[in-house]
Amino acid sequence: MKYPKIGEFEEIVLLTVGILHGNAYGITIKDEIESRLERKVSVGALQTTLRRLEKKGLLTSHHGETEASRGGRPKLFFTITAYGRNTLADTKESREKLWSALPRIVLNLK
Amino acid sequence: MKSMPPRLAIAFLRWFCKLDYLPDIEGDLFQLYTRRMEESGKKKADLLFCKDVLLLFRPGIIRSFVLLKTPNRMEIFKHNLLISFRNHLKNKSFFLINLLGLTSGLACVLFIYLWVNDEISIDQYHTNKDRLYQYMENVDQGNGMITRITSAGPTAKALEEEYPEVEKAVTTTWVTNYNLSWEDNNTKADGIYVSKNYFDLFSLDIIEGDKYKLLEDKNNIIISDELALRFFGDTQNITGKMIEVDRNTLFQVAGIFKKLPATSSVQYDFMLTFEHFWDNNEWVQNWYNTAPRTYLLMKEGADIDAFNKKIYDLVRDKTEGNAKHRSPFIAKFSDRYLNGKYENGKVAGGRIEYVKMFSTIALFILVIACINFMNLSTARASRRLKEVGVKKTIGVNKGILVFQYLVDSFMLVIIAMVMAYLLVWLILPSFNLIVDKNLSLNPDYQLITGTILIICITALLSGIYPAFYLSKFKPIQVLKGGNHKSTGESWARKGLVTFQFTLSVVLIASVIVVYEQISYTQTKNLGYNNDNVLIMNVEGALRDSSRFQTFLSELSTKPNLKNAAGSNHNMTGHNGGTYGIQWPGKDPNDRTEFENMQVTPNFIKTMDIEFKEGRNFMPDSQSESDKIIFNEAAIAFMGLENPLGKKVELWGNQVEIIGIVKDFHFDSFHEAVKPIFFILRNNHTRNIMVKLEAGKLQEGIQTISELHETFNPGVNLTYKFLDDEYQKMYEAENRVSILAGYFAAIAIIISCLGLFGLAAFTLERKGKEIGIRKIFGSSSMDLTVKLTNDLTKSVLISIIIGLPLSYFMLNNWLENFAYKIDMEWWFFFAAGFLTFLIAILTVGFQALKASLFDPILLLKDE
Repeated sequence: MKYPKIGEFEEIVLLTVGILHGNAYGITIKDEIESRLERKVSVGALQTTLRRLEKKGLLTSHHGETEASRGGRPKLFFTITAYGRNTLADTKESREKLWSALPRIVLNLK
Repeated sequence: MKSMPPRLAIAFLRWFCKLDYLPDIEGDLFQLYTRRMEESGKKKADLLFCKDVLLLFRPGIIRSFVLLKTPNRMEIFKHNLLISFRNHLKNKSFFLINLLGLTSGLACVLFIYLWVNDEISIDQYHTNKDRLYQYMENVDQGNGMITRITSAGPTAKALEEEYPEVEKAVTTTWVTNYNLSWEDNNTKADGIYVSKNYFDLFSLDIIEGDKYKLLEDKNNIIISDELALRFFGDTQNITGKMIEVDRNTLFQVAGIFKKLPATSSVQYDFMLTFEHFWDNNEWVQNWYNTAPRTYLLMKEGADIDAFNKKIYDLVRDKTEGNAKHRSPFIAKFSDRYLNGKYENGKVAGGRIEYVKMFSTIALFILVIACINFMNLSTARASRRLKEVGVKKTIGVNKGILVFQYLVDSFMLVIIAMVMAYLLVWLILPSFNLIVDKNLSLNPDYQLITGTILIICITALLSGIYPAFYLSKFKPIQVLKGGNHKSTGESWARKGLVTFQFTLSVVLIASVIVVYEQISYTQTKNLGYNNDNVLIMNVEGALRDSSRFQTFLSELSTKPNLKNAAGSNHNMTGHNGGTYGIQWPGKDPNDRTEFENMQVTPNFIKTMDIEFKEGRNFMPDSQSESDKIIFNEAAIAFMGLENPLGKKVELWGNQVEIIGIVKDFHFDSFHEAVKPIFFILRNNHTRNIMVKLEAGKLQEGIQTISELHETFNPGVNLTYKFLDDEYQKMYEAENRVSILAGYFAAIAIIISCLGLFGLAAFTLERKGKEIGIRKIFGSSSMDLTVKLTNDLTKSVLISIIIGLPLSYFMLNNWLENFAYKIDMEWWFFFAAGFLTFLIAILTVGFQALKASLFDPILLLKDE
């Protein structure tokens, strides 16, 4: 089976959704990435990526409870689909293939 | 939430964000905002919020702004068409009223569009029109300034040689009707003498001949293809043929030009060279006599204002200060047709006023028709409330509803436009007769864009208010079934009706006043009698003095002819004047021109001009050549006491005043009666006037043409009737009054259609009320009054507004006339009463019909 090629940020988002396992919505994903990888994530970039992944079928979403701090708006929770999991595995596998083919000398040079 | 992020940023987000993404994105942002506020204060949180919103403005998040981006938009469209079709079917009368109103309104607009388009295209076809100027002179008459297009013969040459701004200059004569003969054929045609570079200034299609050589030879004649066909029956092999003009000079056909387009303000059939005219008319060779026209082609980028300052003293310089009252200037030739009227040396409108007037009328009528649509659609809105409610409940947004109603109005306007085109196509021939034009419905680029533009404007103008009005209803309110009523709405409707009828009142009052003024000018005592007076040109062999005299005396003796006389003046308009008249006490700076009437002794009698005192010229007497007759205006102007027998100086000769005639109108009523003098002319005159026996016109004409044939063989008799010619001076007003009459009638009909529709609708809704009132004993009359009350009030208000408005407008118009009617109170009373009557009849008839219904029928149906 062919899996889609995903970009670096898409991969990070997908992994983070997995890490958060059940508690993944806009803010938590943003916080998680920012704290683990020490990089800034804008709401805009995150939202477009989430929607894109959902459209590709790698994520699904469902509405959660509302909260006063959110101005009465519901949370939208994301979970990885089986297809998403396979895609991640596929990505990882292809990386590892390349890593294993890398001559030792190249790494040592660094 | 205690504190809100910036409203503007939220509004922006809500505007652009996809609807199904919005709740959780907003939630995320709010949550972030709350947290940031706790961490680092409101200011920073606000700033970051705005930044986040701006970063969200990206393709994946922005919603689609296409109005109907639904997979089944065709279905929606079909559904809308079906709904509006059913609606129209259900309310046939409303549909017809709207359609009728819009169709006639659009037809008027089309007619006016065609007319205006034709007017503004006159003289615009010359390739060099931006650099083509006409030389003109302001002539100071001492007591005012008149502006003329006539110039002295040498003007063009002087301008071309002495002023570097002038590229080329040409001189032409005026257009005159000549007799042409070739072998045994005779015809009449309009000709003009033009100087050498004429074709470099004016664009003409030369079919045959080299346009740079055509005007080289003084004996050349260049004829139009139409004249060639008429005269020779062919346009081939004509060059080289000899044509005799006015039976005295032979010219050789050198070329053929394509008949001038209808958009040329000057029309002629053939051209001769001005150089020929110059050689044969010594009087044109000096700077004192003015008659020819001069046109200039200015160099690219020439400063016209500076040039006008430079030539200001041209005539004074050339005449060594003698002709000090003439100040030349130039005006753009392509502007001349519409802006031909000058007052005190300044442009004061002209035909452009009619263009503006009709454009305004077109707009008025269109607005009236649009108001009908608005009123009827909003009034009927209550019928469609449920539809709006249901649609909104199942999620149709406002945009789609607005779109639906606009489609509705577009559809109606397009149908109306098609019908208007049919109507215009049918009526255009009669319309052309009225306006004396040759308009046609050529579907050219301009007309098509114009039509589309009119459709869009009309549809939007009439559809936009109902569309927004209908789509703004709240579904809950509508479906719960409350009685939807707002005072604002009924005020708007009343206001629109008032506005409509104000326009109608103004139009009706205008028609009455214009009509009265026109008929005044045509029936007012002119001071002479122009009934059954025939006027003919003196041409060909008749130009021989003794032959002319014999012809005149023969004419007077024939049966069916009462009298005949010769005159250089044609009695319609200004023909020629002079200030070469001196009397004791004349102001040396005075340049007022006296109209110069050179006549045969019989003239005053033939024209039935009355004497105030003194006597007429003696018949057949050479001794009368030093006698002069004035009109009252001239005597009053000169300020002479006991003028009879006194002497004045005319062109340096002493002449004795032998008579004074009462004032008569030879000029249009736009002008005050000018000073006139009569002197005898021994030679032939330019025109002959023949008074015919009333009721025997045909016999009279027969007699004249037989006599003419023997005296002037080979020249066809051309004649006109003086009263027809007199009417022609008022052609513009006549046309305007006829057209304005039609348009006013259409405006009031359309207004009434709207009123009719509104009344019918009100009654329909008040059916129950009528029934109940009847049962409780209201009489039909009471009901009628009660039902028509509202609309009647609106109409009354519009009359109160409209009458003063029309008074001011018409007063302004009447200022144009030196002799005008007084504004009578009944003009306005009639206009108001007529409007009121028509409106009352429209509404009252409906109300009466409704009040006569059997109340049972009105009440039992639920």
